[in-house]
Amino acid sequence: MKTETKLIHFSEGIELESGEKLNSFDLMVETYGELNEGKSNAILLCHAFSGNHHAAGSSEDFGIGWWDQLVGPSKTIDTNKYFVVCCNNLGGCAGSSGPSSIDPSSQKIFGKSFPQVSVLDWVNSQKMLMDKLNIECWHFVAGGSLGGMQALQWSISYPDKVKKAGIFAAASKSSSQNIAMNEVARESIRKDENFHNGNYYEHNVIPKNGIKTARMLGHITYLSEEHMDSRFGRKFQDEGSKVEESVSFEVENYLQYKGEQFSELFDANSYILMTKVMDSYDAGKDKPLVEALKDVKAEFLIVGFYSDWLYPPERGKEIQIAAMNNNIRSSFVVLQGDHGHDSFLFSSKTYSNLITNFIES
Amino acid sequence: MAIKLSKIINSWVPENSKVIDFGCGDGSLLKELFENKQVLGYGVEINDTKIEKCIEKGVPVIKLNIDKGLNDFMSSDFDLSIMARSIQCLKNPDLALNRMLKLSKRCVVTLPNLGYWRCRINLALGKMPITPDLPSSWYETENIHLCTIKDFENLCLKENINIKDKVFINRNGDQGGLSKINPNLFAVEGVYLLEK
Repeated sequence: MKTETKLIHFSEGIELESGEKLNSFDLMVETYGELNEGKSNAILLCHAFSGNHHAAGSSEDFGIGWWDQLVGPSKTIDTNKYFVVCCNNLGGCAGSSGPSSIDPSSQKIFGKSFPQVSVLDWVNSQKMLMDKLNIECWHFVAGGSLGGMQALQWSISYPDKVKKAGIFAAASKSSSQNIAMNEVARESIRKDENFHNGNYYEHNVIPKNGIKTARMLGHITYLSEEHMDSRFGRKFQDEGSKVEESVSFEVENYLQYKGEQFSELFDANSYILMTKVMDSYDAGKDKPLVEALKDVKAEFLIVGFYSDWLYPPERGKEIQIAAMNNNIRSSFVVLQGDHGHDSFLFSSKTYSNLITNFIES
Repeated sequence: MAIKLSKIINSWVPENSKVIDFGCGDGSLLKELFENKQVLGYGVEINDTKIEKCIEKGVPVIKLNIDKGLNDFMSSDFDLSIMARSIQCLKNPDLALNRMLKLSKRCVVTLPNLGYWRCRINLALGKMPITPDLPSSWYETENIHLCTIKDFENLCLKENINIKDKVFINRNGDQGGLSKINPNLFAVEGVYLLEK
């Protein structure tokens, strides 16, 4: 698979939804396959909360890509046929401009002075990337969870630039419960003694415990009760492989391990910023969603999963109803999904066929 | 779907109308309506393999159990809803019929006729009917609410549903012969255009 990873600089900067401006910024971008002559085979993948530009294949820094099960040569999204683009979103911590990168104006780490961005800002920055890559129209824009929100926003913001949108395990806005969960995560980071009000870089420490706890909570919300029961049940962790002395059950050990691993990779300020992006998104902007979709021209494929309790299928159904009321050619399919909210990341026969058939139809 | 049946339905669908097809199967009928009548159409289906086929054809589809989920899509304003050979599979065919007529101005319903003479002979012999149109045994059939032409028209009367048009299909798949004279005895299928 032809893969290119590069940091692209945007010297023109970007006006943010908040009214603030980034005078210049960088996006870490990965592409797979090749753009055809007619430029009609470009696909944009939008990553979810903790994802990054590395969607497919294996890399030294980021391991196996977050959507590798579905993206690659002869896979669901076939990189032999399509030119697939994925970027680390603004505010992230995998190479694009974010709280942990250097502010060009002060030559210091941004820290918490990095402006709050939004789904709309992400879409606008991806549009700038699109122009830079000389792509006129995306054949398909897709993502799961927060990535699905970006796919939806693309179809709203740039109706002529998206032919098809894949909105998976997503919602047009976060629920009160979603926001509540995120606030617990943020609180655990803020109350870590190493957080230093977001300026932990200066103290050469990271609020590791806070991020770890936040991630452990997050992880629970990404899985389903059934999945956890079948995977861990009430099995005890064997002594030899305990990552923490105090754990008794396998599930505890698993969360400890995952949390620990994540806390070493993810920036705390990015974590807070990303959760706020998710919380603040509302495709309808306080108005009914049906109004927000009135100019949409893209076709939709909306997929929800019964085992997903973070963005349950009802959220997808709301988008479907608003789409139908706007005469948008939209499909809505609910699949069982074995992995709770995370189901969108995993390939299954029906899920994979739906996506392939939708792209090819 | 038999050619005849889709031809009849085609003739009742206005050009450029907004259509919803309950129990749309692999989306063939809607695909035909896209091509012949330039409709905007949505299918409703519960079977994943059939849903994959719809998407393959470019037919928008919603995965939904009609018994449970019909209410959710009430806010959409359709010109026509279609329920071909599915109404007898529903838990509450009467409620479904009324909901369809709230959802759309008109609706097309087709149903197998339990009054067909071969069914009656089966019953007279003390057995549940098995015919080319109703091939499954009683324990494996999805048809939990079979009725005769007469039963269906009585239901329409009771629910104040107007039968705008109707066509009866005989066992050869056409509309002629005895099924015109006594549909309740000789038609294998009734095809109705309904309005409230």
